[in-house]
Amino acid sequence: MRGEGTLRAGFLLAILFLAALYTYIAFTELSYLSSAGRLGPGFMPRIIGVALVAMCALSLHADAKHRGAEHSVAPGWRSAAVLALLSGVLVALLEVLGGLVSMMVFMGAALWILNRGRPLQNVLIAVLLPVGTHVVFAVWLKASMPRGMLPFLS
Amino acid sequence: MDIFSNLLIGLSVALTPVNLAFLFAGVMLGMVVGIIPGFGPAAGIAILLPITYGMNPTSAVIMLSAIYYGSMYGGTITSILLNTPGESSSVASTFDGYPLAQQGRAGPALVMQAVASFIGGTFGVILITLFTPLFSLVTRSFGPPEFFLLVMMGLMTLIAMIDGNWRYGVISALIGFALGTMGVDLETGQTRFTFGSAEMIGGIDFIPIAIGLFGLGELYYVFYQGMHLEGAGIVQYRKEKRFWPEWRDYVETRFTVVRASILGFFIGVIPGAGATIASLMSYSLEKSLSPTPEKFGKGAMAGLVGPEAANNAASSGAMVPLLSLGLPGSAATAVLLAAFLMWGLTPGPLLMTEKPEFAWGLIASMYLGNMALLALNIFAIPLFVLMIKLPYRILAPAVILICTIGTYSVNGSMLETWLMFAAGLVGFFMKLYGYSPAALVLALVLGPLAEQSLRQTLTISRGSFGIFLERPASIWIMGVTVVILVAGILLYRKRQ
Repeated sequence: MRGEGTLRAGFLLAILFLAALYTYIAFTELSYLSSAGRLGPGFMPRIIGVALVAMCALSLHADAKHRGAEHSVAPGWRSAAVLALLSGVLVALLEVLGGLVSMMVFMGAALWILNRGRPLQNVLIAVLLPVGTHVVFAVWLKASMPRGMLPFLS
Repeated sequence: MDIFSNLLIGLSVALTPVNLAFLFAGVMLGMVVGIIPGFGPAAGIAILLPITYGMNPTSAVIMLSAIYYGSMYGGTITSILLNTPGESSSVASTFDGYPLAQQGRAGPALVMQAVASFIGGTFGVILITLFTPLFSLVTRSFGPPEFFLLVMMGLMTLIAMIDGNWRYGVISALIGFALGTMGVDLETGQTRFTFGSAEMIGGIDFIPIAIGLFGLGELYYVFYQGMHLEGAGIVQYRKEKRFWPEWRDYVETRFTVVRASILGFFIGVIPGAGATIASLMSYSLEKSLSPTPEKFGKGAMAGLVGPEAANNAASSGAMVPLLSLGLPGSAATAVLLAAFLMWGLTPGPLLMTEKPEFAWGLIASMYLGNMALLALNIFAIPLFVLMIKLPYRILAPAVILICTIGTYSVNGSMLETWLMFAAGLVGFFMKLYGYSPAALVLALVLGPLAEQSLRQTLTISRGSFGIFLERPASIWIMGVTVVILVAGILLYRKRQ
């Protein structure tokens, strides 16, 4: 596993890359003045972009200067990664299976991984919580719920 | 006299059965939001925002505001019983709250924090009642230059008070500003950074961003830190012989609660400062004024009462710029502003005169909400202790589920749901490396206003920045900003 300092620099570099892209678009595609001669759509993005790139570069320089010993990542990183992965799977499933079934699949999988050894409790929660959420949002609030690609599941 | 008649109108609105029911639901939800470590009022309000769609606007805002100030009460229960603050504003309450509980005084500590929170919160609402109409009158003369400077002041204060790397705070705010420029430019109608997507024309809605950053991001961070693996070392308060505080507890802290309430309110009024700063400053103040400072950190009641009164008064104080200027000073009040706008209620100098039943109904509901919270915090403690015992391994998937479905239900947009997930990942890294998700959200909400104000200002002045030095109100705002920045730099150096 890479050290915390390297990952921190990687995160800052990612922001710098996106900031540079944002600034490039601001300068090349958005005009500084409008056709009426007033400040145009590119005025603020140019200021923001330049400031963001400058701050990222300054931070990278300062971090490199004061870089201490590398700390290893916290022990819970594996659980956090599993949780993030499960969240992504839930969002992806919404488009395929629709709201209710996706929620049940997600809760079942998440509890199977995180709450081992309690099958009855897990099944009950994985069914009741999604049904309750569905009733609140779809029935009571009449909010839109993802329908999914499989008509018989929606 | 006008204030009292308006307050009576407000009470008649707040005391309707429907509004009372939603107020009670709000304070209960606020307590729950406050109790869950790593889950703040900003995420709580953002997630519950979609649930209010079918409601009357006044009832909805009364409920969402109650979640905000209710979370200030709830965050302390875990500080005292678990040594884990439910909210950042309850961090100072762990310093003496947990030692008190370890000494067998959990009951008196819980009651005293409830009483202090009630006094601080109610004191804050009284000052809101007096100050908000005054603020509205003063700010009626504000134009684009003042609004631009106020937005900058809020963000600079937030960055100056960050407990960490100020450069990361500036980067966070700039990212928020950058996201705020996406979509149609309102002055020219030209699209910006939409990458050909029709869904992006309306810009980036900040609700998925707020839910992702404060809901998912915080949750991933809690897991990363391994907090879900820790056993619930809850101090048992029912085993104690004495649940109620002794008379000397009230006597010893009578001035503390007054000082902390005043300090907290005025810190809360400053955009960007907030309840956490207020509680920590109150703790430092009480320790420096105490004849026995050595008792602080070992179970001094004043060390618990001060921060509690201060953070509740600050949460009330934060409503003043929100109601009178339409400027949120924190992530939570930024989400509240979004709720106001969603209901077609534009906070600002004219709100008090154009929508008095709404503005005063909200203020009146805060008096009632604080009373309900006092009763809940004393008589429903066993219920909240049960909630503390709810394991993270069950809570986390449930929160993710509600975040995801809640985000989708706002506009029925998969793009926004993916955006929420991405914001969750970014929020995790921001939290991990000391960036400021609050500055990002605040800049995202206020960015369009700042851009519009700056462009209008420069149009008025024909491109000259000298306009900021020509208007007395602008000079005042810049002066206050400089004072706050100097204070922030001094605090930063002291911490170093």
